[in-house]
Amino acid sequence: MMIIVIGITLCLPSAGLLVIENASQISKNIEHEAEISIFLKKDISKDQIDFIELSLKKNSLVKKIHFEPKLIAWAKLQSKLDVEIGSSVSTNPLPDAFFISLNTLDQIKIEKLINNLDGIDGIDDIIIDGNWIKKLRVILSLGKLSVMFLAILLVIVLLVVIGNTIRLQTLTYKDEIEVSKLIGATNAFIQRPFMYTGMLYGLGGGLITISLLKLSVFGLNKALFKLVSVFGTDITFKGLPDEYYLYILILAMFVGLISSYISANNSIRRLKIYK
Amino acid sequence: MISFKKVCKSYPGSPEILKDIDLEISEGELVFVTGPSGAGKSTLLKLISALEKPSSGSIIFEGQSLSKFKNKDIPILRRRFGMIFQDHKLLYDRNCFENVALPLEINNMSKADTYRRVRAALDKVDLLQKEKIMPITLSGGEQQRLAIARAIVSRPSILIADEPTANLDKEYAEEIMNIFYSFQQVGVTVIISTHEIPVTNINFKRLQLNGGAIQNLIGHVQLP
Ligand SMILES: Nc1ncnc2c1ncn2[C@@H]1O[C@H](COP(=O)(O)OP(=O)(O)O)[C@@H](O)[C@H]1O
Ligand SMILES: [Mg+2]
Repeated sequence: MMIIVIGITLCLPSAGLLVIENASQISKNIEHEAEISIFLKKDISKDQIDFIELSLKKNSLVKKIHFEPKLIAWAKLQSKLDVEIGSSVSTNPLPDAFFISLNTLDQIKIEKLINNLDGIDGIDDIIIDGNWIKKLRVILSLGKLSVMFLAILLVIVLLVVIGNTIRLQTLTYKDEIEVSKLIGATNAFIQRPFMYTGMLYGLGGGLITISLLKLSVFGLNKALFKLVSVFGTDITFKGLPDEYYLYILILAMFVGLISSYISANNSIRRLKIYK
Repeated sequence: MISFKKVCKSYPGSPEILKDIDLEISEGELVFVTGPSGAGKSTLLKLISALEKPSSGSIIFEGQSLSKFKNKDIPILRRRFGMIFQDHKLLYDRNCFENVALPLEINNMSKADTYRRVRAALDKVDLLQKEKIMPITLSGGEQQRLAIARAIVSRPSILIADEPTANLDKEYAEEIMNIFYSFQQVGVTVIISTHEIPVTNINFKRLQLNGGAIQNLIGHVQLP
């Protein structure tokens, strides 16, 4: 019973962490695909284009460069719209463009890069497609913070709940504790069985938490798999990294240990026997 | 072996119970602590066995002051006393064997040694045939003997008994006292609190508590 309470209590922040870990995993993937579009002036010369490409290549922030000549862009647009616009529009309205992806989301670095690019002759306009990612990251870090806050609250709840259960047990063993203390048992000797119990509660609760988490990831992925076969997208929900499960176990056992230590210690001190 | 120097004792929120007590207990002595009810006999025994600490003054065990003992050494010191409490303090959810085994559990003794020692102690108080029985079913005298078995099982050098014969018939009381005398005869220091000194032919020391002060009286050989 106790174990189930612990298991479910720890599940709440862990599940939150699971969601956030997955979301930030996705945001990290997007991060690397953050792009800047650089539109060039209509009358730009081949030399100028080469120069811009060269300076982009030399920049360490730039991961990928893709040059799209205006003719190809025009052809793409036409085939997309499936009409012969060429007949009604006499000249190609599209400019040449570089599409570059960056390997950073650092706003300061990006601004510096854009300032540098702005100074280059032949560049008409620069558009960054990354602002929403910044917002997402802020939301994610806020989410992380609230999960942490929730975790701290629930750990306190667990301390109280386990501590109270152990306290009831010390009441059951009141005489045993008193007599043991009177005839020379150390506090450690008296506390030990209660601390084992507390730790076992933590271990059992932690294992339940882990099972619930693994089960829900498994279930979600099964549901997602069905979606994948319908929409042909490729998304999977990842479990927490393995070491996180270990942390959950250690945390749960630690909470059990601490609260049972305090309860057992109180029961000894209530006896008012010297030392 | 144990000496008190100007020991006073009061419990929080109550007047002084023991005042300026000086006493000396030597190894192998038989000591009776006497005095009327409420005189502080139990309190004195608790001070001797390091279950209470003095409000002032010092208690010295084999040359070392109690106040100089480290926290972790106090339990070890207590194990050298075999205590028989006024209310027995038996565990009624354990059988006789398990009650007597408790001090050895605390001492981390092996199962085999525990078995041997517990049975020897039960045999000494004539309760061996009742080892599997729960103490609640024992008579008053038998419970007292069980408490003695628990006190002697770890072979303490000092036996301390708080009014061990208070609620017993005369013949039972004699039986109990004889067990204590037999330990004194083999060199164990025996300290017993009692209302009245029993008839005995052994030399004893008598500590008479009278409203906080102590009178040292030396007993003499009394032949039956
Ligand atoms: N733990 C305690 N707290 C407060 N007062 C106590 C405590 N133990 C004993 N007393 C008081 O100390 C006095 C002496 O008690 P006690 O040592 O038990 O005397 P005796 O054993 O001679 O009858 C009594 O008045 C008793 O009420
Ligand atoms: Mg008393």
